Parts: sequence; C-alpha cells; structure tokens
Amino acid sequence: MVLKNMKLALVFMFLLFGAMNVFAADNDAATARQIVEKFQADLIAVMKDGKALGYAGRYEKLKDPVSNSHELNKIARIVVGKEGEKLSEEQQQKLVDAFSKLSIASYAHNFKDYSGESFVFDSEEETTRGGVVVHSHFVIPDDKPVKFDYMLKEKGNSWRIINIIANGVSDLALKRSEYTTILQREGFDALIAKINEKIDNYSKQ
Amino acid sequence: MNKPHKRNRRIEMHHTFSGILIGVAITMGGCATTGTDIVEQQTIANKADPYEGFNRKMFVFNDSVDNYVAEPISNAYKWITPQFMQTGVFNFFNNLKNVNVVINDVLQAKFEQSAEDTGRLAINSTVGLGGLFDVAKHVGLEQNEEDFDQTLAVWGVPQGSYLVLPILGPSTARGIPGAVFDTAANPASYIGMPVQLVSMLNARASAEGSLKFIDEAALDPYVFTRESFLQWRNNLATDGNAEASSDVDSLEDEVLDGGKGAASRQDLSTNASNNAGFALRLDAEGKKFEQASHSFSSVAQSFDDTAKSFEDAGDKLDKLKKSKRRR
Repeated sequence: MVLKNMKLALVFMFLLFGAMNVFAADNDAATARQIVEKFQADLIAVMKDGKALGYAGRYEKLKDPVSNSHELNKIARIVVGKEGEKLSEEQQQKLVDAFSKLSIASYAHNFKDYSGESFVFDSEEETTRGGVVVHSHFVIPDDKPVKFDYMLKEKGNSWRIINIIANGVSDLALKRSEYTTILQREGFDALIAKINEKIDNYSKQ
Repeated sequence: MNKPHKRNRRIEMHHTFSGILIGVAITMGGCATTGTDIVEQQTIANKADPYEGFNRKMFVFNDSVDNYVAEPISNAYKWITPQFMQTGVFNFFNNLKNVNVVINDVLQAKFEQSAEDTGRLAINSTVGLGGLFDVAKHVGLEQNEEDFDQTLAVWGVPQGSYLVLPILGPSTARGIPGAVFDTAANPASYIGMPVQLVSMLNARASAEGSLKFIDEAALDPYVFTRESFLQWRNNLATDGNAEASSDVDSLEDEVLDGGKGAASRQDLSTNASNNAGFALRLDAEGKKFEQASHSFSSVAQSFDDTAKSFEDAGDKLDKLKKSKRRR
C-alpha cells in the first residue's frame, strides 16, 4: 500500500515537473544557467575570432554580452561599499561608466585567442537569499581546469551575474577591497584615474 | 595567453617552499606613502591585516628586490635556458615537493589521496627519470596541493594575521610555522646551495605569469595580492569548499539596504577586537617597528598553537578518520 502511494506520488511529481518544464520553455525568461551559458558561448566565439578582431573588435563584440549578462550597476555599487555613500550622484554615474568599461576591457584583453578551451557546466544551486550559483569549469588543453562559479541574482524576469569566483577567489570581494582602500587612501579622482589607466593599458596590448 | 586562471595557478607556484623566497615582490611603489589618519582607517577596514603599515613597507622593499635582482636574473635564466629544460627543472622540484604532499595527506587523514600522491611520486621518480618528466599527469594522476599550513588549518589552528615577509613575500602567522615544516620535509632543502639557487630561479620564472597578471589587473597591487593570497589559501585549506558565494549577501546588505546600522556595528566590533593592536598605531613611524615586534609575537602565538596541535595530533587524526567514515 505504502509502495503504491509512493509510486503515485512519484508519477504525480513527474507530471508536475513536466508541466513546469513546458511552462518554462514557453516563457522566454532565461534561467540563470542559460544566462551563464550564453555568456560563455559568446566569450568562446570572440576568442575564436580573437586574433582577427583585434582588441577593438573584441571590445565591441563583448560589449553587449557583458552588459546584458552582468549586473554592472549593482556590482559597481557593491565594490565601493560604504564609501559609496560619500559619492555624489554624478560621481556614482562616473564610477559605473568607468567600471563597466574596465570590465569589458579586461575580458577583451584576457580572452584574446583560442587554443581549444571550453566551458563545462557542473551544477546549479540556490542560495538562501534567492540567488543562484552556477558551478562550471573552464577546460584548458594540457593544463589544470579552472573552476568558475557564477553568482546570479534575479532582475525583472531574468537573471544577472553579480559575482564570479575563479578557483575560490571572489572577484567581488577582491575588487571591493581594492576600491574601498583606494577611496580611503587617495580619494575618488585617483580611483577613476587608475581605472582609466588600466583600460588604456589593456587597449594598447 | 594570459587568462585570469593563470593567476591562481601561478600564485600557487609561489608558495612552493622557495617560491615564496623571491615571492610576490610586485610592481609599483607609488602607493607606499600614507598619512597617519589614513593608516588608522585602514586598520579598521581590514581585520586580517592589522600590520598593514609594516606590510606595505615590506611589499615595497620586496618589489625593489624583485625589480633590481630577482627579475633580471630570472629573465636571464629564461633567456639562456630552452623551454624543455625549464619544464624539466619545474617538474623536478615539483616532484620533490610531493614527499611533503604525501605527508600532509596523511596528517589530514586523506588516505586515498595519499595513496594516489605516493603513486605519483613513485611514477615520476622512476619512469619520469627522477621527476624530470611529469608522466603521472598523463596517467590521470593530477598534482594535489597540500602543505603544513593547510594541515594546521584542518587541525583548527587559526590563520592569524596577514604578514609580508622580507624577501619571502606574503604569508600569515600560521603560514610561518607551516613553511618551516614544509622546508624541513622537502628533500630539496638538503641538497645544497647551487640546487637551491636553481630552485629559486625556477620559482621566480614560474611566477612570471601571475606577476604580470597582477601588474595588469591590480589597481592597488598590495591589496590585490593580499586579498587573492588570503582567499586562495583559504580555498586550499577547505579543499574548495569555502563559502565564497555567501559573502555577496552581506556585501549587498551593507550597500543596498541602507545598512548603515549593520555597517557601523561591524566597525565597532572590529574596532574592539583590534583594540590591543590599535593602541600601537598612533604614531606613523614608530608604529612600523612596533607593528613588526607585535607581528612577531603573533607569530610566536601561532608557533604555540602549532606545538599544541601537534601534541594532540593523534586525537585529531582519529576524529578526522571517524568523521570521514561517517560521511
């Protein structure tokens, strides 16, 4: 009897999941995993054409994929932490602009060519606060794979990347320490100057 | 190609015994000078780095040593040595390090992994011609990263403060006794001077990629190095299970939910916990020396903790074994 009940429950669950899957497929809202995989695919595509595109070409091609998958506004606000409260509206906007450019530029600089790399999806988990972590790894021929964990938050009916953890090193925490330190020690103008200098260096190489 | 992952892989190499020797003596001395009040703010901001003033000085010193001594020598080494020889040298020292890895596998009760690593050591020492060729990799035995610092972490010794050592580079209070044991357990330490010199050259040459990455990506190289070093060590000690993801929520709170209350509370508690050390930091110059001596006493504390944890190592291993079995 118990067994039969369990069977029924299982069948019911399968039906439910089936229905949910259909529902999800109907909706064009992308899941967290889809956002990450789309971005990774775009990145690999740019790497494959990397040499022909050159830095400027890669920057242009990555502009939309990065801005559409990353929550750059929020990331820029988080990395300045409490120091952000001291910034004026205008300064905040300036920061978001410079930060977004730097993010795209560093992708364009660091993913410049292709030698058989690929991203592999591992798993997906929900965090306590309604976020999702997509675990994946970057396979490099003849080298150790690199773990890439993407932390996403819901935005509207879609998801946006808010942090990337590469082999256990959190990009957000790293940047936050840097940015708040510079704001405390040297002030806002120095921070913007340093960001622009980095973008400049990236574009030259 | 110079992708972000190189950072981790390369920084890893740093930490091989002699890797830290020449260490992360990175670029840019521009941000060395600070006012007193700024330093105070800093110490509040960084719980893990109470000796920032001292550390930054060391960082700049190491950077000059690297620029004027280590980097030129390393570049010369890379210029005169063919790539296959560089790889051979890297493999040779890496293979010797596996003696240490096996010991630490056992001390952390990772018996399966210790069997694998023993196999790795055996294959590379024989078929791999004394470690010159990494044959084991092709058999599917990946290099594992274990050292005494991680063992101490597993045994519950706290990490302690971040310290930048002269010439040796970034470490922590716990990392120092760890490095002492690692050195003692590494056969390369007993071979003699010329070999050690080659080992140091090899370490600097292998670190080239990460140093270049830091140079390119870091807005503040000191902070960048500290954060990535601490996060990387933490990730190794927890075997990749560190909850880095949850940190986003607390960071977010502070900024987005107008979390002024939470933030200032945090400041208070940090402040209180830092109180003892904080008193030392009022005078900018005198402070450096005091920080140094203070940091030595925190290292001494770490040695004590280490000694204590060795005393009951047997118990700990038993416990670890049991908890493994339960899992």
